[in-house]
Amino acid sequence: MIGPTPTQALRRLHDALGAPPGEVEVHVLRHRGTCGDAVDAAAITLDVGAPVADAACDGACWAAPAATVVRPGHRHRFARLDRGVPDELAACVRGECDEPQAGSGEAGLTVRLGRNDGSLTDVLTRGGYGAYAVAAMLQPARILEVLRGVGLTGRGGAHFPVATKWGLLAAHEHPEKVLVVNAEEGEPGVFKDRHLLEGDPHRLVEGMLIACRATGIHEAYVYINGQARNGRDAFERALADAAAAGILDGTAFGGDPVTIEVRSGAGGYVCGEESVILNSIEGERPVPRFKPPFATDSGLWGRPTLINNAETLCAVTTIFDSPPPPTKLLPLSGDVPRPGLYEVPVDGNMTWASVLAMAGVAPARVQALLLGGPSGRFVLPEEFDTPLEMRTLGAGGTVVLGPRADIAAITRSLAAYNARESCGECTPCREGTQRLVQLLADPATNRDRIDALIEVMTEASLCALGGMAGRHVTSALAAFPDAFEVTDPTEASR
Amino acid sequence: MPASQSAPYDSAAPADAERLQWALRSVDALPRRRDQLLPALLVAQHALGWLPRAAIEHAAAHIRVPVSEVYATATGYSELLLERPTPGTWHVCTGVSCDLAGGRALLDAVSEALPGHALEIDCQFLCALAPVAVDDAERLHGRVTPSRILDAATERAST
Ligand SMILES: Cc1cc2nc3c(=O)[nH]c(=O)nc-3n(C[C@H](O)[C@H](O)[C@H](O)COP(=O)(O)O)c2cc1C
Ligand code: SF4
Ligand code: FES
Repeated sequence: MIGPTPTQALRRLHDALGAPPGEVEVHVLRHRGTCGDAVDAAAITLDVGAPVADAACDGACWAAPAATVVRPGHRHRFARLDRGVPDELAACVRGECDEPQAGSGEAGLTVRLGRNDGSLTDVLTRGGYGAYAVAAMLQPARILEVLRGVGLTGRGGAHFPVATKWGLLAAHEHPEKVLVVNAEEGEPGVFKDRHLLEGDPHRLVEGMLIACRATGIHEAYVYINGQARNGRDAFERALADAAAAGILDGTAFGGDPVTIEVRSGAGGYVCGEESVILNSIEGERPVPRFKPPFATDSGLWGRPTLINNAETLCAVTTIFDSPPPPTKLLPLSGDVPRPGLYEVPVDGNMTWASVLAMAGVAPARVQALLLGGPSGRFVLPEEFDTPLEMRTLGAGGTVVLGPRADIAAITRSLAAYNARESCGECTPCREGTQRLVQLLADPATNRDRIDALIEVMTEASLCALGGMAGRHVTSALAAFPDAFEVTDPTEASR
Repeated sequence: MPASQSAPYDSAAPADAERLQWALRSVDALPRRRDQLLPALLVAQHALGWLPRAAIEHAAAHIRVPVSEVYATATGYSELLLERPTPGTWHVCTGVSCDLAGGRALLDAVSEALPGHALEIDCQFLCALAPVAVDDAERLHGRVTPSRILDAATERAST
């Protein structure tokens, strides 16, 4: 199919939507969203002689409540306005300020977070749908080729190559194959997909359209965490705007029509596991399915199903950038002066030490990082200078553990969390997670039994909740053997 | 209005019987398909703040599945409430990041000041604004101090 050139299609859409507000006018963005609203950002009065618009969190969660002054070529974020609106903010509005503050990334997935009012016009001026405009003109096989060259991998935790999964779907002739977007984000310590949904929902729509184009899918479901109400609302608004502009039905850019339906989750760590999502959408009990068959062959209602994480699909929108930035979103919290969402290039140069520096924490003040929450492990200071590797990052949730953090208490509480969240469908995890909690009362005495138990859970659990439930325990016992004291002698002697 | 837009439990809303009727009508508005089971439970809970047996039975009849299967499904989701929540209850996060920021101390302080109205909750995905607490309208509050919760409770009592 010969379509319009992307620039033509994009330009036509721009014209249809009217002139973008751009950055010509001086204005102030008040960062609301879940982060801002949790600290009463709405109550901050910004009487500074410029129009004020609401925007999402820009990833600098630590700064909330915050506002950004936008002048042509100049952006300056003012943090912690609960402590008072500084005179410098009004001065900046008047142009008496030459200190452009670094916000979130200048390229990549976060470039539009909290930097606009979220309107489609604004998104289009900032590069939105540029990648889909290109993809809609390419043969599906060519998109897969580009993707393969980029080497993008899944951001939901399992690091699976995106091109491989898409290739499996493209190979199926089934007329009703489906895309399911995993925006459940139920891993403690992770808050990246929520930021993407709230701050740049059109990016996810665009990534989904590229996925559908590459695989020949026309029907999609977006499974959004039930508590992420702001994210769901923002995404539904974006969908409506995209539909009205002819982006979903092929009018604007060419490409086949795609229907997109939003579904809400209702909590539970295991409800982010892909086959649980399938059961959940079908109205079955939310427990994992046996694999094989894999979802790519038999997923939602038995149809071939592509399941990707929301960040993965957002990252897909950068595959035509040259060179594509291999970035990962790292939600960072814990003992750190500037907790928030960091987008870091995983390019062979980035280290934990540099991530920590960005967040304002001295590596010497860190005992360890907890990477991956209840399915994760402890990263020790001796690893801080080795380059980050995508395959070790999981979903990216990182908690900084300062000098006073009690590693044993954290390990025990994560083990208890896994025991609570085990869905009970398979014995190794249902019984094993409970038993692990008991054995952790006295790890020194129980060490052999702990190791044996974790081996069974790792090998024999139905899903990775049980399969990875021992990971942080093994990691803690290896790195901090002296941290554990007996908590309950009656437990220990059992 | 999409189910996600307003807080699910508003203690100033009409009497229970009326709310129940509203909830059942919301369930009736959904297609009678198995894949509408979770949406049915969510709209019912949205209307009522929890899922009484009458709502479960109604959802079962509407979707045409056994009540036992609806319970089996509902108990798989941590956010579906099969018991009526106590109005004025605060859920205090004791996830790792919140705990590092004093979440457990916050929980203790609230438990002491508002006996029976403080419960522990797992990570609320707002870890960067720890410690986090959730009020009875499911609103998230960040960088919470005991006095902020007590002020809100006092304000509530006086209205
Ligand atoms: C217990 C458990 C929880 C999971 N939670 C999530 C989640 O919240 N979000 C997510 O995208 N993937 C989650 N996953 C991984 C998914 O099963 C799946 O690998 C992922 O959605 C695939 O998308 P990707 O290839 O784009 O990463 C979880 C897996 C397990 C075992
Ligand atoms: S490993 Fe745990 S969560 Fe996964 S199926 Fe088995 S019991 Fe359920
Ligand atoms: S640990 Fe409390 S919000 Fe994540």
